[in-house]
Amino acid sequence: MKHTVSRDRRIALVFLLPAVVILFVTTIYPMLYALWLSFRSYDLSKPFIPRVFVGVANYVEVLSSPAFLHALLTTFKLMAMTLSVQVVLGVGIALLVTQKLPGMAVVRTLLLIPMMISPVIVGLVWLFLYFPELGYLNYFLSLVGIGPVAWITSTGWALTAIAIADIWQWTPFFMMGTAAALQSLSPEPYEAARIDGNSRFDVFRYITLPQLKPVIISLLFLRAIDAFKIYDIIFVLTKGGPADATEVISLYIYRQSFTFWRMGVGAAASFVSLIIITVFITFFFRSLQRSQAALAR
Amino acid sequence: MGIWNKSTIALGVAALMSSSVWAQDKPFAGVELKMLGIGDTSVTRVAPLVGEFEALTGIKVQIDQLPYPGLIDKIIVESSSDSPTYQLLWIDSPWVGLLGEAGALEDLTSRAKRDAAEIGLDDIVPIQLQENTWQGKLLAFPASGMTWLQQYRADLLENPDEQANFKKKYGYDLAPAKTWIQYRDIAEFFTRKKGDLAGGKPLENDLYGVSQSYSRVQGAITHDYFPFMRSFGGDYWDPKTGLCAMTGEPHIKAAEYMQSLIPFNPPDYLGLMWDIQSGFMERGEAAEAAYWSVRSVRLTNPEEAVLAKIGKAGFAANPESDAGPQPTYTGTLGFAVNAKSQDKEKDAAWEFIKWATSEKLMRRFADEGKGVSQFRKSILGDAKLQEKYPYYKVLLDSQVNARRRIFHPFYQAVEENFGVELSKYMAGETATAKEALTTACNAVNTQLQMFSVEQRLRWINDAPAEVLKK
Repeated sequence: MKHTVSRDRRIALVFLLPAVVILFVTTIYPMLYALWLSFRSYDLSKPFIPRVFVGVANYVEVLSSPAFLHALLTTFKLMAMTLSVQVVLGVGIALLVTQKLPGMAVVRTLLLIPMMISPVIVGLVWLFLYFPELGYLNYFLSLVGIGPVAWITSTGWALTAIAIADIWQWTPFFMMGTAAALQSLSPEPYEAARIDGNSRFDVFRYITLPQLKPVIISLLFLRAIDAFKIYDIIFVLTKGGPADATEVISLYIYRQSFTFWRMGVGAAASFVSLIIITVFITFFFRSLQRSQAALAR
Repeated sequence: MGIWNKSTIALGVAALMSSSVWAQDKPFAGVELKMLGIGDTSVTRVAPLVGEFEALTGIKVQIDQLPYPGLIDKIIVESSSDSPTYQLLWIDSPWVGLLGEAGALEDLTSRAKRDAAEIGLDDIVPIQLQENTWQGKLLAFPASGMTWLQQYRADLLENPDEQANFKKKYGYDLAPAKTWIQYRDIAEFFTRKKGDLAGGKPLENDLYGVSQSYSRVQGAITHDYFPFMRSFGGDYWDPKTGLCAMTGEPHIKAAEYMQSLIPFNPPDYLGLMWDIQSGFMERGEAAEAAYWSVRSVRLTNPEEAVLAKIGKAGFAANPESDAGPQPTYTGTLGFAVNAKSQDKEKDAAWEFIKWATSEKLMRRFADEGKGVSQFRKSILGDAKLQEKYPYYKVLLDSQVNARRRIFHPFYQAVEENFGVELSKYMAGETATAKEALTTACNAVNTQLQMFSVEQRLRWINDAPAEVLKK
């Protein structure tokens, strides 16, 4: 019996090994290497600079850099703009597409398309729309006597323009998750509410929304992590500009690593942002859980 | 020995003889080279002709054309690899210090000296060779020579009605600007709306007085700011410490001057990079632009610029500031050899550079009307070509007193920091030019201060190109 257990374990280990090796090579080793790098002076473009251990100097530089703090603030601003609209729109569209109407299955599928497109392509699509001189958006606005709007070349509009593109791409994510949740809700409370003569708004507010909350929170959790890392769309549309209007954390890290080639500083900035997003998400969800628990009481 | 055996031996001998002749004629036959290049005139003209070079030498060259933003990043990655993909590299002259100090580029000095007659070394405008040197070594060879010059709508500036109206408004004759104040007056005068008259014709689009680069992307704004700054009498570095010194009065004046041009630029001025900026001139939608001559040739070619069909481009040396005459601000786009290539590849790459930058090919480009911005005295000074390309004379004359562009191992830090900070100032996010320039300079100096003064002074001092020594 004992012999069989140890044999089973060995077989299990053999089956696990490829996954562990792949995980180590693709995730653990690069992460450890980046951590090691974050404590060193390492400039890829200047081999004459000694590549030595510098302690926490890179972390101090990042945390005391106004550009990093600005990028952090811009990231959170963008997250607030996109996530709030995506939740509202996503839930609203989900309520519409779960109605028992003809053709809804097709509509649902069509609405998912933006989410399936690569962010770089999304960036290019919106670049054609936003392009200052030749963009379609300004053309259509000009037909009704508006504009031209400097969508991606004015510091006042650029972040909003990025947010619109991100909302367009990721609202379907909320729509899909919420629609799935809506379809799995138990019909009994609705029947009881109908018998009691409640309005549709009350039904939504007191029955649907509380039941959807755990799903919405999970979706928010996933999107918040993703939104914090936003890079592709911004790189294609504005590259962090105009001025520093759309310079988010990922762009800051990119600039340190691949424009200044200061790999140590770039690695340190990556770890600082990892810690910040972990703390933020933990705090955010603990407070949501607390408010949920309070509501349940 | 049968007849077949004799024939076989005869054929073998003939084959050996012909291959030996082949080897003498084409010592690099079979070598394959790849070039990391830009999708602009200095490469696009030569790229379709690499088949001719292969027929001539047996060397196969493949040119990959990339946009300017990000190209230096790819070159740095390439040069840090021990087994490079690209043997030939396209280089913008400010990168020479950065790549030279890193040992990324092959020293071409001895090859250039050896082949001086063949490449017509004396025929090259000296500053264009100097642009490609680092610490006296020739690290790239000019493929396109540039100056920052004044381009304008000659058809508008020479229009009698416009001239009369201009004189009435400003009190002096309308002509290519001699001072930056005049340049701004002309920009203001020609800033007009769609439907207004310009040169007696109603405008189909808005006409902007001027188009300059204000985008931060790849430091595009610095490519205009630095020439302005030098024209206002400023310099990059403190000659005593080797640290960034771009916070003085000329530097501030130059930034403020650039800001004062904003009302006469296209409304999306913060997005103006080189190609977008020059596009306004090419479409005839800007009255003037102080811009690099690298694209001047397009303005005279109706296949590439609407302006050549609807109007006429004029060219002049750049105006002066209150600091008086300053040396012309130059630049060079060159071809270099990756130092990590194998020896035979390096020699084959040099053969390609000699061919691609030869007087014969450059003249052919000029004759065909699709030239690059030239760097050879014989071509720039050719009376017939000067008539065809009015900017040739401006290029030749203005380079008599010229000073090279920025060259420094920390060029990218300078370009990026000043790009962002100046762009913020132009967008009105930073209150004063002084504040923007100080922030940018401090960021550069934070990195430079880790090096000794001797080291920093060595970097900012321009050692003359050894190939120019007689």
